[in-house]
Amino acid sequence: MAKIKKKGTSGAAKNYLTRTQAVKKLQISLANFRRLCIFKGIYPREPRNRKKVSKSATHSTVFYYARDIQYLLHEPVLQKFRDHKIFAKKLKRHIGRGDYSSAKRLQALHEPQLSLDHIIKERYPTFTDALRDLDDALSMLHTFANLPSFNGIPPDTIAECERLCHEWQHYIMRTQLLRKSFLSIKGIYYQAEVNGQDVLWLVPYKFAQNAPVDVDYRIMRTFVDFYQVLLGFVMFRLYTMEGLVYPPKFDVLADSKGAGLRAFSLETKGVKLLEYEGTTNGTAAAIEGKDVSKQLKTLSEKIATISTTDTEEITTTILTTTTAEDVPATELEFDPFPTALSAGDDLRQPDITSSSTTGIFSNCTFFLSRETPRSPLEFLLRSFGCRRIGWDAVLGDGFFTDNEKDPNITHQVVDRPPQQGPGGEVEVVRGGRPQYVWDCVNGGNLLRPDGYGPGEVLPPHLSPWVKRGWGYDPTAPLPEDEEEEEEENVEEENEEEENEEGEKNKDEDEEMIDGVKSEEKKATATAESEEDESGYQGMTIDTANTDEEGEEEESEEESEEESESEAKPAKDGKSKPKPTFPVVEEDEDDLSDTELAARQHQAEIEAEALGKPAPAPKTRKGKKTAAESKREREEAEEKEMAKIMMPRKKRKLYEKMVYGNKKREAEVKELQDKRRKIEKEKKGGKVARRMKV
Amino acid sequence: MASRNVNRKRKIPLEVEEIEGSLENFVQNGAADIGSDNEDDELAFLKKGGLLDARQSDDEDGGSEDDHQKEDEDEDEEEEDESEYDSDDYSGEDEAEEEDIDSDEIPSDDEGSTAVTKEMKNASIKVTEGEEEIAHYSDLDEDLPPGTRVVMDSTGNPRYLYPEIVPNYDSDDTDAGKEENAIGNIPLSTYNLFPHIGYNINGNKIMRPAAGKALDELLDSIELPKGWTGLVDKNTGKELKLSDEELRIVSQIQRGRVADELEEKDLEYAPTVAWFSSKTEIMPLSSAPEPKRRFVPSKHEAKRVMKIVRAIREGRIVPNKPQEDTKPKYFDIWADEAPARIDKMALPAPKLPPPTHAESYHPPLEYLPTPEEAEKWKDQDLEERDRDYLPKNYNSLRVVPGYDRFVKERFERCLDLYLAPRVRRKKLNIDPNSLLPKLPSPRDLRPFPTTCSTVYKGHKGRVRTLGVDPRGQWLATGGDDGTVRIWEILTGREIWRVKIGTGQESGGEAVNVLKWRPGREGGILAAAAGEDIYLLVPPVFDAATEIQGRELLAAGWGYAAILSENGVSRKEPPAKWTKPTDRQAEQGVGAIVTVGMPVKQMSWHRRGDYFVTVSPEGTNKSVLIHQLSKHHTQPPFRKSKGLIQAALFHPFKPHLLVATQRYIRIYDLSAQKQIRTLLPGSRWISSFDIHPGGDNLLVGSYDKRLLWHDLDLSSKPYKTMRYHEKAIRSVAYHQGTGMPLFASASDDGTIQVFHGRVVADLMENAVIVPLKVLKGHTVTAGLGVLDVEWHGRECWMFSAGADGTARMWN
Repeated sequence: MAKIKKKGTSGAAKNYLTRTQAVKKLQISLANFRRLCIFKGIYPREPRNRKKVSKSATHSTVFYYARDIQYLLHEPVLQKFRDHKIFAKKLKRHIGRGDYSSAKRLQALHEPQLSLDHIIKERYPTFTDALRDLDDALSMLHTFANLPSFNGIPPDTIAECERLCHEWQHYIMRTQLLRKSFLSIKGIYYQAEVNGQDVLWLVPYKFAQNAPVDVDYRIMRTFVDFYQVLLGFVMFRLYTMEGLVYPPKFDVLADSKGAGLRAFSLETKGVKLLEYEGTTNGTAAAIEGKDVSKQLKTLSEKIATISTTDTEEITTTILTTTTAEDVPATELEFDPFPTALSAGDDLRQPDITSSSTTGIFSNCTFFLSRETPRSPLEFLLRSFGCRRIGWDAVLGDGFFTDNEKDPNITHQVVDRPPQQGPGGEVEVVRGGRPQYVWDCVNGGNLLRPDGYGPGEVLPPHLSPWVKRGWGYDPTAPLPEDEEEEEEENVEEENEEEENEEGEKNKDEDEEMIDGVKSEEKKATATAESEEDESGYQGMTIDTANTDEEGEEEESEEESEEESESEAKPAKDGKSKPKPTFPVVEEDEDDLSDTELAARQHQAEIEAEALGKPAPAPKTRKGKKTAAESKREREEAEEKEMAKIMMPRKKRKLYEKMVYGNKKREAEVKELQDKRRKIEKEKKGGKVARRMKV
Repeated sequence: MASRNVNRKRKIPLEVEEIEGSLENFVQNGAADIGSDNEDDELAFLKKGGLLDARQSDDEDGGSEDDHQKEDEDEDEEEEDESEYDSDDYSGEDEAEEEDIDSDEIPSDDEGSTAVTKEMKNASIKVTEGEEEIAHYSDLDEDLPPGTRVVMDSTGNPRYLYPEIVPNYDSDDTDAGKEENAIGNIPLSTYNLFPHIGYNINGNKIMRPAAGKALDELLDSIELPKGWTGLVDKNTGKELKLSDEELRIVSQIQRGRVADELEEKDLEYAPTVAWFSSKTEIMPLSSAPEPKRRFVPSKHEAKRVMKIVRAIREGRIVPNKPQEDTKPKYFDIWADEAPARIDKMALPAPKLPPPTHAESYHPPLEYLPTPEEAEKWKDQDLEERDRDYLPKNYNSLRVVPGYDRFVKERFERCLDLYLAPRVRRKKLNIDPNSLLPKLPSPRDLRPFPTTCSTVYKGHKGRVRTLGVDPRGQWLATGGDDGTVRIWEILTGREIWRVKIGTGQESGGEAVNVLKWRPGREGGILAAAAGEDIYLLVPPVFDAATEIQGRELLAAGWGYAAILSENGVSRKEPPAKWTKPTDRQAEQGVGAIVTVGMPVKQMSWHRRGDYFVTVSPEGTNKSVLIHQLSKHHTQPPFRKSKGLIQAALFHPFKPHLLVATQRYIRIYDLSAQKQIRTLLPGSRWISSFDIHPGGDNLLVGSYDKRLLWHDLDLSSKPYKTMRYHEKAIRSVAYHQGTGMPLFASASDDGTIQVFHGRVVADLMENAVIVPLKVLKGHTVTAGLGVLDVEWHGRECWMFSAGADGTARMWN
């Protein structure tokens, strides 16, 4: 007989420690343990079986992985904590004795300094790892940069956060890595693609932030301490890769004049770049004074010696003092700094392969009206290639022009109600409201500013991260009447099949939107499965391969629906359509460009899936025969009975999935109902108005 | 070189003296024998030869100061120092004399006196080098104490130099009480002429021991005894012999080793003397006066301090200057990045989901909540809300306010990052329908009952039981009203009725169970109401059958009497077979069997001669086997094993299957033993049925489970199914051929029909396909369908409901 093993000596019981055990093992205070966990990125785990880990554990017991804690034992930061404890004792003694000078000296000379460098390297062995974790860091630092300084947060922390945020924005602007942005009620979301990693961060609107009292700022500060170091190292690497000197020079004077982003001047290794391009009368240029003019001189001389194709372009470039930073991808053949490039090999060429949308504003001159938010607009415009931005002098320094009537201006950004001139004439604005810029950026091309003028009702601002093709799509038109509904039901079910088959995509994203938040609240973190980029296409291919199967299942679906509707009589008399996709036959005259594009895309996908344009089966129109409905009922029953033969666990899973799908469908339906109602009201309103007229 | 040899050899007795008291004695005594005063001379000589250790020489300095020596004190000290380290100076000068000593050994008895004294004389010459006259050995007076030397002073008079008194414990002889011979330092030779050798402390003579005989002496002279010294013990007057221990020491010394190596045990237990302890001694360990340096400030220190002061003045040292870290704050930390190690246990924090349309500052209008929804959202707890913001619409970016929960949300994210337990969950991204098992379509498995075709109404109260006659024409039902009714199957017309129980409404008995006797002959129906089992011959068949049935029942009337007469059974019979009254006989009752307890379940043997009844409360007589032909009843078990629920005969083997609450036991009736036990795993078995093939068992339980047992596979169920919402009351296999059907009836009012095909091939398991849920019976007082039975040939199914109806399904 094998030796009887003692309980609790191996396996899960050994692998996990409760928090109390961990704190006791490390012999530190709970507060220090918390800091250590934040720095080291150690998080509690949910064991697969709590009972196996500890018999006495309640549902609120927190478990840590024992090996994590074991590693902590040798952590230099832990030793620093102890050193600090000793230091605090000494300091207290001095203060207690009233020996303030030596207390001061002690603090100045002997306070143990925490270094997190090794932790950065340890937590992020590769640069990509660090970039992957940058979302929270950036959002956090932007939050702190906008917080008021008070007891919990010293002003230098806030200043440091602000500096780091500006540096980050500079880098993004220079490399034109910004991809998407979104104006939400919480703030402005930005997404950049750095080294192939998507980084999404949220910047609050420029208001005095509400600093709630039920927030433990010590915890947030610990995070900020870590994120500052992390961002510092990340930025050093990014700047170095770009051939720039890190940290960039910060001009206090310019900053005090409200130069904002312009208070920083980037330097390449070797030659100093002109940062204040596009400022003809800005004081910032004056600050640089002689250096700039000298450089300009030499530059123009150098450029003059270089034989370029288009002399005119050169002159304009010099006039506007463009730098390499602002040369869009399309104008690569012109390089104003050949010497710099030949001297330092480390200066990277702008990435030709980068997205073609990055230069959409390159030929525009913008003027920001004083009621518009300058810094996000400036950041966005410059990130998408705009070189010349003027703004009202109220908004600060560093503008291209502060004259609204400047003839160079191609686009004006205004956010005021329509103004009437002294003679009653309505002001004409060449441009649009701020949302215009965002919609251009997310759309990937320069839109016509029609519909964005002052006083007009703006088109809805949509999130660029919601994928089309499943769930509710506000851009897709609603089915017009009942007959079409039927038709669309079929189609849409087709779609559903597709979606279900390629459910990886669907599940994930819907979870992201609907489920994750609640999951977050439950304080469980699910490990992300890798996002299937080509999920949609993949699933269409699937349907193409198994056409018959799809049809079969389709009928099943339908029957299920039928039975449901029979089970509970429809509340509002008519059956309501489920998420829809545009019908091919619909007349396309009324649709907007984007809608058209979406439909085109949709039609293509369908055609691809079926190998031919999706036919709307006419036979399905009208009422189903009794025999059909009976058959469908039978099939639904069959499905119900098949559940009998499932193991209990599997059955529960199945029921959960069906429940989830139903819930999502219900949400979509609700939105569609609402929209239909709104449209009806609108129509009614129009008719009423017409009647009045 | 020679001198060095001398020194080494000369060292021997000295060391002995130091270490071993007894040997010192011996040396002293030896010297006393020869000439007691020589010893100290020798010592003095050796001391001057520089072979004494420092302590001894110190003593020398302190003690023996002569007048003329005092004059040259400083000189002497230097000399002494030299002598300590460099003995060659002396030895070189007096090489001639010392060469003689070279061969010197421990003096023997004969020549010792002359040889040693001669040498001593030479030695004394050496010692007083630089003096004018040297006293001769012969001049020494006998009266002088040993070790006294005589030197000539400057005036030419003899000067006595007395030996220095060594202030050690040995010098004090006050405690020499144990020494027997108290003659002191008088040589023993003084007593040569006397019969005694001295006096003890009390003044009594110590007599000389008897001298050995001449022969002994001769032998002794031929062979020296061990430890022989040739000396006489002063105390006893006998020969002084060296003990083994002493001999060992001597040999150690001769071999140039440490005289007396401490043994391990001595070392181990050597007493520790804590000279330097925490305890402050009253007397100082050293009487040396405090040195001056301890009172004078250090010049060296002052020098160093001045050096620092000068540096500070010149600005080379800046006090309290914060240390500049030469390391840059940021550097390329990923300069030499290695490919990341994949840690299986690492769970990276999930990223926050990107915003949706609803979060827009200007969303599509359908995303805006209605006032009711907004109200509901506000009333909800934070945890209950499905989103943490309320969608809002702003017509212009200018009017968008700050988000008041911004910091709070960031904080919550922080908390999630470091406080939320992480777990890896797999998300199943599949079509839920793919989880459904692939089953053949029920349409392909026809025929099976799908609809209710006939309803048999008439019973008052529940219909508890029913049965189809073997010919398939009539349906018999029994209910709470105590009647047994027979219906025409196809029309649903009641043909015949008999009241055998008093009826439960009146507090009497209901018909709990009824079963048709298998086989076409007779048409006998057994129905149990309370404790009585009525064997009925309903007049629904043709006359011949009825007569046949009555005859079958009447055939056994004699047997019981014969058996009791023969005395085969002395005991009280477990059941009493009685003839019906005339009225009962008229109504069709053939015989009445009365058992002790109410019968709940009944089953016929396939041949129709035996039937088994189960009355769960009957303890050891709960299962009774009745024989129709002999009107005989016997209990097969002596002891009951638990509460018995049901019993069945095997379709073709002589086996009896008995279900208790939890187990099903199979007994071989011919061998009279238990064959096996089945463990369905349910809490309370309600009913069970055996497949006509005999290898499969269907068990229904009150805990909603249906269990399929394959007797060939294991004692555990092959399939467990839970689909009924309430307890299963009855299960039944279709007994006909070509109809692989079974059904389960439950208290939820439904009957589930299954296709259950059993293949003869042992390698293949039974195929179970759910076919149809039959709904029709209404649930009355928590009871639904109470019994279910299949038609013998057709795929018709009959069910008895608590709603007072029986139904046929086809």
